[in-house]
This record gives sequence, C-alpha cells and structure tokens, in this order.
Amino acid sequence: MPLLLTRLTWLLFVLSLGALVWSPDPDWAHGTVLHVDGLTRLMAVVTTFFSGIIQSFARRYMAGAKRLNSFYGRIFALTFIVILMTAANHLVLFVGAWTAMGWLLADLIGHVRGWPQARAAARFARWHFLASSALVAGALALLGVQAGTTTIDGVLSSLPSLSSSTVALAALLLLGGAMIQSALVPFHRWLLSSMTAPTPVSGFMHAGLVNAGGILLARFAPVAFELSWVMLVIVFAGGVSALVGQAWILVQTDVKRQLGSSTVAQMGFMVLQCGLGLIPAAITHLLLHGFYKAYLFLATGSAVKQTTPSKASPTSPSLAGSLVALVSAVLGGLLFATLTGKSLTTLNSGALLTLFVVLAVLHATRTMIRRSALPRTARLWAVPVALLSSIGLYALVYNGVSALLAPLPMVSVHPPLTPLHWTLAGLFVAAYVATERGWHRLSTRLYVALLNSSQPVSTTLLHNRDQYNAY
Amino acid sequence: MPIERSVVRARIENAAEYVGPLWPLQTFNAANPLVGFEDQPFDHAVQQAGKLLGGRGYAHPSVFRQAWENGEIDPDILTRRLAEHGITQRPEVLLDRMDSDDRRADSAPSDEPLDRVMVKWLSAFLDQGQAAWPMPKRSEGFYAAWRAVAPYDNAAPSITRSADLPDTLLEAFEEVLSGYPEKRWESIFVHHLAALPGWTGFIKWRSRRANTEWQEAYPITLADYLAVRLTLATHLGEAVAPDRARDLPANGTDRPFLPQIWLQAWEESYRDRLLSDLAQAKTPNDKATRPDAQFAFCIDVRSEVIRRHIEEQGPYETHGYAGFFGVPMQHQPYGTESTVKACPPIVDPKHRIIDRPVDDKQSAADRHGWWTALETGRRGLVKTLKHNIAAAFGFVEGSGGFFGGAMAARTLLPSALFSMAEWVTDWIPQPESFTEPTVDRPPSDDAEWENGLPVGLSHEAKVLYAEAAFRLMGWTDRFAPIVVFTGHGTQTPNNPYKSSLDCGACSGNPGGPNARVLATICNEEAVQTELRERGIDIPDDTVFLAGQHNTTTDEITLFVDDASPPVPPDALDQLREDLQTAQAGATTERVRTMNATVDAGRPQAAVRETERRAADWAETRPEWGLAGNASFIVGPRSLTQNVDLDGRTFLHSYDWTKDEDGTALENIMTGPLVVGEWINMQYYFSTVDNAAYGSGSKVTQNVVGKIGIVQGNGGDLMTGLPLQSLQIDDEHPFHRPLRLLAVIQAPADRVDAILDRHASLAQLLDHEWIHLTIMDPTENNSFFHYESEGWTAHTNAAPSSPPAFSTSAS
Repeated sequence: MPLLLTRLTWLLFVLSLGALVWSPDPDWAHGTVLHVDGLTRLMAVVTTFFSGIIQSFARRYMAGAKRLNSFYGRIFALTFIVILMTAANHLVLFVGAWTAMGWLLADLIGHVRGWPQARAAARFARWHFLASSALVAGALALLGVQAGTTTIDGVLSSLPSLSSSTVALAALLLLGGAMIQSALVPFHRWLLSSMTAPTPVSGFMHAGLVNAGGILLARFAPVAFELSWVMLVIVFAGGVSALVGQAWILVQTDVKRQLGSSTVAQMGFMVLQCGLGLIPAAITHLLLHGFYKAYLFLATGSAVKQTTPSKASPTSPSLAGSLVALVSAVLGGLLFATLTGKSLTTLNSGALLTLFVVLAVLHATRTMIRRSALPRTARLWAVPVALLSSIGLYALVYNGVSALLAPLPMVSVHPPLTPLHWTLAGLFVAAYVATERGWHRLSTRLYVALLNSSQPVSTTLLHNRDQYNAY
Repeated sequence: MPIERSVVRARIENAAEYVGPLWPLQTFNAANPLVGFEDQPFDHAVQQAGKLLGGRGYAHPSVFRQAWENGEIDPDILTRRLAEHGITQRPEVLLDRMDSDDRRADSAPSDEPLDRVMVKWLSAFLDQGQAAWPMPKRSEGFYAAWRAVAPYDNAAPSITRSADLPDTLLEAFEEVLSGYPEKRWESIFVHHLAALPGWTGFIKWRSRRANTEWQEAYPITLADYLAVRLTLATHLGEAVAPDRARDLPANGTDRPFLPQIWLQAWEESYRDRLLSDLAQAKTPNDKATRPDAQFAFCIDVRSEVIRRHIEEQGPYETHGYAGFFGVPMQHQPYGTESTVKACPPIVDPKHRIIDRPVDDKQSAADRHGWWTALETGRRGLVKTLKHNIAAAFGFVEGSGGFFGGAMAARTLLPSALFSMAEWVTDWIPQPESFTEPTVDRPPSDDAEWENGLPVGLSHEAKVLYAEAAFRLMGWTDRFAPIVVFTGHGTQTPNNPYKSSLDCGACSGNPGGPNARVLATICNEEAVQTELRERGIDIPDDTVFLAGQHNTTTDEITLFVDDASPPVPPDALDQLREDLQTAQAGATTERVRTMNATVDAGRPQAAVRETERRAADWAETRPEWGLAGNASFIVGPRSLTQNVDLDGRTFLHSYDWTKDEDGTALENIMTGPLVVGEWINMQYYFSTVDNAAYGSGSKVTQNVVGKIGIVQGNGGDLMTGLPLQSLQIDDEHPFHRPLRLLAVIQAPADRVDAILDRHASLAQLLDHEWIHLTIMDPTENNSFFHYESEGWTAHTNAAPSSPPAFSTSAS
C-alpha cells in the first residue's frame, strides 16, 4: 500500500502539473459544488509535490514501522482533502474539508499510539483545529445566510449587498480560524507541541498544512479586504507573529522547536502579506517557505555538530564595507521591484515587501564582507551570482503565481500606507539593529520570557523515559 | 547547621555511581548503562537498576519466542537448564506464562513540574551552539546562572529575587539538607540523579573531562544539578527526600527467574554451536608460501565479513587488532582547529597528530581550501540569514527554490547523489591525498604542546607502538611485500548516530588517521632496524600502507599517492581489483539481512544498494553497525579461517606460543576485551529496553543542543542506541541480546594468572557480565568454561551447523 499510494500521488502530481500548464477548463469545474481556478490548480501541484516527496522519503525513513498503512492512508487522504478544499465552492463542502483536514492532522501528530505524550499532543492540536473549524463554519454560515447562497462564488459576488458589520464579523471569524491553523501567536502552542509527530509528518505539516490559513484568507480575500481596518488587524496579527516567532528562534536549543518557531514567524509574515492586500505574494511565500521548511525538517538528523564556544563579539564592517552593503541592498531592492512590477514612484504596501528584500540583501552582503576567510575570487563572482539568481528565481515564481491568480476576485489591492504600517516597518528595522548590536542580550527578563512563552504543553514532554513507546 | 563540603562531595560521588556517563553524539561511545552496578551479579544488578531507572533487564518474551521458533535455542539445553530449577513444563507453555507475567509494573510517576523546570534550564545551559542567544551568565556555572534567571521564571513564582536564593552551592545544600540526617543524603541524591538519568549522565561525562572547551567555558557538575534541583523542589513544594520505601533498592531475590534461564539457555546454545564449528574448522596449512599482501583490520565484528571475502580472493592474510592501532593519539584533521580523541575511552591520548600538507602538494591544498572556504561561507551565510530577525523573510523567499530542488534530488535520486559525490571528491583534492600526519616531533619541542600533549612521537614511542602491535598479534615473521593497516569508518548522511557506526576503538571516529600513523612509523628505516633487533623480522621489501574500510559500502580505500606509488603498480592494481571483488561478495552477504530488494543474480546490485544507503538522507538503517555481536575470539586467524562467523564476532589476533610471560594476553584481556564488553552491554540493554536504556525510534527523535537526542517535544536525554540500529522492523530484533562470550586460545594457568592480577576482570566473569571459554593448547585444544569455582570441561552434543543468522521478517 505505501508503494501504491506514493506512485498514485506522483501520478496526481504529473496530472496537476499538466492541468497547470495546459489549463483545461471543463464545465464541471465551475459548478456549485466545485470551482476549479488558478488557486486550485496551483495548490494541487504544490500539495501533490510535497505529499509525493514526503511519501517517497518515508518509504525508506519509516521502513519497518508498525501501522505504515494507516500512516500512508492518512497522508494520502490529507493530500486529497487539501485539494478538495481549494476546489470547493459549496460552503458545506469547504467547512467539511477544513474540519477533516484538522482531524487527520491531529491523528498524524499522535501517530505513535502507544506513547502517552504523543496522544496528549494530538489531543491538544485536535481541540485547536476543532475551534478553528467552528470559527470558519460560523463565518461561512453567517455569510451564507445573509447572502442567501450556499456557494463561495455566491457569497463573494453578493458582498456589496451585505452590511459592513456582517462582513467585519465574518472577516474576523475567518481570521481567527486562519490564525489557529497557521499557528499564529497566541495560538502557536499546538505547533510547538507537535514534535511527537514522525519527522515526515512535521515536514508535511510545516511545509503544507499550516499554510491553509493563508489559503483561507486568499479564498475569502474580498471579505477580508472589504474594510480597511480589518486589513490592519490582519497586518497586526501577522506582524506580531513574525517578530515574536523570529525572536523565539534565538533561544531554542532543540532543532525541531527552532524550526517550529521559524514556522510561526514565516506564517506571520505570510498573513502580514495578506493584510497588505498582496495575495499573490503571500501564496508565493507559502510555496517557497514550504520548500525551505520541508527540506530543513527532513534534514534535522544533521544537527549534530562539533562546535566550540564562541567568544567573538560581532564586529562591525568598515565604512567602505557598509557602503558596499548598502548599495547592494538598494540595488537588490530595485531589481526585485522591477522584476515583480512594483511601482517605484508611489509608496504603497508593495514597498513594504521591497523593504524586507532590502534588509535581507543588506544582511547577506554585510555578512559576506565581514567574512575575511572567504577567497576574493569567490566573493567576486559567487556573491553576485547567488544574489541575482535568488532574486531572479523569486521573481519568476512570483510572476507565475500572479498570472495564475489574476482572474481571482480582488487578489491584489494596494491600500495606502498608514501609520501602523510605518510603525511595523520601524519595529522590524529597530529589531534588526538591536539584534545586530546585541542589545537584546542585556535583558535576562526578555530571555526568560521568550523561553517560557515558547514551551510546549507540559503533558507532551517525556521526562520519565519509561513512558516512551515507539509503537 | 553547617555542613562539610567534603561530606557532601563524597555523598554525591557515591550517588553518582548509579548513573552511567553519557557521551555527546559527536563522539558516541559504547558504554554499559549499568556500569555502576557491575560489582554485583548480573541478575541482582538488572533488578536493582530496574527499580531505580525503570528499565527491564531481560528481553521481552516475544524475543525469546522468536529465538525459540527460529531454532536458536537448543531444546535439550533449555530442558536441562529448566530441570535444574525443577521446572518441567513445555517451553511453549513457559513462553505463554512469561508473556502473561510481563505486565510491566507501573513505574513511579515522575516529578513533573520539577523535571520540567530542570529540563528547561539544563537544555539551555548545556546547549552547544543551537541557540543563537544562549542562557545568560553561563560562564559562572550552572547554579549561578540558574540563580540569575530564576526570579524571572514564572514556573517558580515564589522566587522573586536572586537574593532569595542561597549564594553558594554549599549554602544551598545546607538550607535543604539541614532537616535530614546525614545518612539519608545519599539516598536523596540518588533519587534526584536517577530522576533524569540522561541529563545527569551527560553532566557526569562532561564534569569529568575538565579540559573540554565547553566545560571550561561553562562549568557544570552534579553538585550544581543537585543544588538547583533541591532548591527548586523546596520552592515548588515537592518532596526533597524519596519515600523511605523507595530508598536505595534492596538486593535482588534469588528466586529462579524464567527469563534468566531462557537467556542462559540461548547463550549456551550459541556457545555450543560456535565451539563445535571451531572444533571442526580445518586449519589451513600453507605457512610455507609468502602471501601477496597482509591486512590488519580492527577487531570490530564488521571486519570479520570483509576479511573472509578478501581471503577468498587469493594469497592474502588478515589480522585483527584494536582499530586505533595502538597509537594513543589526539587527531587534528586537516583544516580544523579542534581535535578529536582517536583512541579508546579507557585510554588517555599521549600525542597530538596534525595532518599537514606535504610540501610539493601545496597547490592541491590551496584548491581544496578554496572550495572549503566557499562552503563554510555558504553555511555561515545561511545560518545568519535564517536567524536574523528581519532578513529571514526575504531569505526564505530567495532561497526557497534552491531548497526545493535539493529536497527533490536528495529524496528521489539518492544513488545519483552518491555518484555525484564520488565525482566531486575526485575533482576537488581530498585532504588524504595532500597531507601527511605529523608523526615526528617538531624541532622546537615544547613550542607545540597543547592540552598537555606533545605533537608527534619520539623515536622510542614509535618503536614501542610498532612493536606492541606486532607482539599483541603474535606477528613476528612472514611479512608480505604489502602490509595494509586498515582502519574503518562509516558513511551516512543526516544521521545523528553516525559516530556510533565509526570505530569504537577510536572513540567514535574513523580509524584511517591512526592507520596512517602506524604505517608511516613502520615504513621508517630506523624503526624497522630496531624492530629487527628485537626479533620482529621485517624484510627489506615490505611496504606498509594505510587504508580505510567503509563499513557502509565495504569499499576499501588505500591511502596511496598514485603519482608515485610505493609498491609496484601492477601489484597495486591487482590488489585493488581483488578488494573490489571482495566488496561485492561482502555486500551481497550483508544486504540479505537488510530488508532490501536486490537482484541476487548481479553482484554489483548489492554494492549499488549499499552505496545508495551511504548517500540517502532518508535512510535510517545505513548499516548494522556492531549489531549481532555475541563473541570475542582471541587467537590466530587459522583457528577461524574457514568458519563463517556471520559478522557476530570480534577477532583479536594472538599467538600463545609467542607470549611466554602472558603480557600480550594480559593487554588484550584488560583492554580490547573490556571495550568489547561495553559495546556488547550497550547493544544488550538498548535491545531489551529501548525506552529506558536505548534512544527510541529515529522517526520521532529531536536533536537537542547539538549534543544529544530527546524524543518528540523534549524531556530527559535519551541514551544508548536507537531502535533502527537494533531491529529489522518494529517487531523483529536484529541484534540478539546475548552476553559476550570470550573464546581464548591459551593455557589455563596463563589465563588464571591474569585473572588473579585483575580482580575487576575476574569479577565481570564471576558475576556473569561476560562469559569465557578457553581452548587450551596444552590440553589438545579442548574447551574449558570459566566458572567461579574453576574450569569445567566442555561436553558437546550440539547439532552440526547453526541456523543462518538472517532475518525472519518479511
């Protein structure tokens, strides 16, 4: 059965890829039950790819494990349900798929049935997912009843006729559901307590299933974008997670929880992008982050390293070096903006994205300049090649995703920047400067607060090894 | 009540005996988790340890059932053993009874909040580089660092200021222990040390190696641990002292215990089959001809397989010697700043060996350096971008595509990656090809002392190690034109247990560097001259080479400069060709036990399969390591040459006729044999209780602090070996949990004399941690078994050939 399902998943991947390239448009794909659009087709390719990788990996990684059939059955069912969810047009089908996804995921977190800690983690996650389902169901029921329709298309097209309080309530409920699914602060704990899952499940979860929050927001973008203050709430929710998650990474000592903290941050960033009205950017992020995080999870066995205590304090590069870094950063930002069609003259939410690219390039070049050990020849060609190809690859994916999503209603709006946006941007820059200078290290209180707030649920910790059971 | 520092320290020392030291994963060392109980009979020890640590002492009944059904337990032996205890029921009935008896008694519930807070701070303090922001004030020691963070920790709300906590360790102990009589202290300490045996085992290891960089920078002792834990216990309102009933466990009972009888019967069955095979082995008698080449391999059980296949290829001879080749050294590989211990855990290094580029190969070294700098730069960049608070988001988007491609390649095309890695190592010069170990003392002698160790070896030391090697192996004449010292190492990516598969005699490092050192020494004219004077007859035309056996793929790499080979190119080509054929044979034999689907008709298919495992990041069973180990044979290779020992036997070469005073045997029995016992006990206990003494399934493991393993979300550090190193699948063990059987060819009085001098070794035998049988050449090579009362002659009624040691899993 594992072999069969793995092959079937890869076959589905090839078919999805074909559907993505040739874009067939059969009639049944626009019914009241299903509605296949660019988002569906894209997510089908992405989901089957991750699922295929995870299953191929697990065929060797989990060889000889008990209950393999149940493992593969659940992974496959999850794959199918995620595609179904992105294709659902009927509100009930959508809520059903959403709920089933959470249920199966909780099962997989507790895949090791005989291990009490795994069961506790599964239980904890299941309650979260059920709450998320309730919020989503509430939002869709509200919208459906008020609009007098049972389809997503119907809801979205009759939005202008709904009262703004209805839309606002529905949007906040949806945001709640998305925040739980994407493990945003303060609903992050289920994710940081989920390492009882087999490594491949964690890979699938962090690369794929946590993204469902972003899919939800993308699907109901018109609801979320109807009111600009709701968008600000989304920006705030995402921004907080991005900052806090990234700060948690600094203090984690085990590799999987460190990756989990990073997922919280990256999901926050994705939701932030949604709140900026940049759905294609969010979907691109979700996709690329999926590659990144799945790889790192599958590679967690490599975390053992011979290390020496570092005593070096961060050194500042010379003035010339800083100048070079700054110039490269600005150039990188310009390149990014040009390739992705961002306006260079007007300041809007797209400019915030460019800011993050500028910061990344700035930090990368600063690091390279500081590293005197790197051969000159390598610095001369490797650095530009790496930067150009990274930005180029990103732009390629971004433009592809944008083209696919273009027909969707309201995927990209460019709200003007408000003081909140500026504050957030300022916070990130301040955090960057503070961590570079090492100011955060002055506060023991902050250290303890970060460590404590990122602890898993106590019942999922294995203090008494007797209680461990591998099956 | 003021208390004495020395008294507390002594009590802690005593209490610490119950916890086995835990090595970090970088240098995984085989160790008996019950080492602190070795002064007791095996059965008592496992019962006591079970009460304290919660682990079982004998295999699960299902393991005995499988052994019984596979015919590994001789029915006659079992019946006789049972009858000795007055048990007459049929074995099947007894298996059922053991099954129903095996309801594991519930272990004491752990002190959850206390453990939780301890684990949180221990993982923060003992981190070796995972967290970019480490715990504050670590350099002041664990107690002081905890004292600094405790006021902010909401887990212990009653601590609001550091000043509320005792200033020093001693004051902390005073505050907590003053309410308890001194004779209770030790049991209090034992209770709290045993609550988290993984972490306390690691602290025990670390605090006894004061010269490691991490311990020097951030000191921690078991006293720190206890002071923090006991102080926390009072603040959390948890019990400081265990219930009196759970004080130090009482001695075990003498009741005959079914699993014990089954284990003994299983061990005796294995022994009788092995001995009858040895008795029937036809000793080859071609001592007259000179072999083309001779190899010295590590005593490791994995060497047995490849040795057999090499000997089949032609006039080759092999010897077995501890894989660090007797050179107690600390090795500094080329291009690194840190050194690794390259000798057994029981030996202290005496020399520092640095790999340095040879003068005329500087250009190769530069090319290598260029690529490594690029790779180091890339790694550093990825790490800093990943952790940066603002750059991480852009970085993830920019690099995501590359990670996706790499993930697909590593998952879908592992075999292609192996070939690609081979190609890359051909293209970029590897350190072995352009460096040399510094075996000579540098001119300015004391300039290069570091950690109290001199660089290189003096002439006397060189002669000493070379002579010791040949003496211990009983190899004083008949040298072939080519002699290869072959170390061994594993090849396995993405595997936290990599070092458990490397050479145990080199403290979990590859043995190639040691082989290079001994080969370089032996090629020196001055050393050879002196060896000849001492009766080791090395011909002028003998060349010593070094090599490394890749235990994952069975490939043997010879460290030879092909531009100017020290031996005739024809001979070298022939040797390499034969080694390749031997590789195909050995891998074919090994993949049969690996749950692999390989076309049996094509010998290269098995090689391909092992190469795939060597490159596959998804592979949790790259090779079996030392799983299966069951016996340790000390004697000349002619004893075992025509016997298929199935990769279960340590082989140490020894010639009793060349060891009149027994010095060589004494060294073997107190050195390699003891290390063999440690390895065997680690495999034994990891197999019989993978939760308490092993590290559980790799599938849910999580690396903590870059040094250890926790399961899932964290908790106590796991010790021992993972499930995948021991079991074919979740239900079938590959490793047979048997105690090590030593078989030594030597006169009884010689062995007796050695045991008289080494009481601890005799104790291991008396207490049945290890079994010993001798093949007495003065008694017509008859077998005698060691028993605490004396030697018992072997009576044999064993069946002809043993059942194949292969998997019954499908």
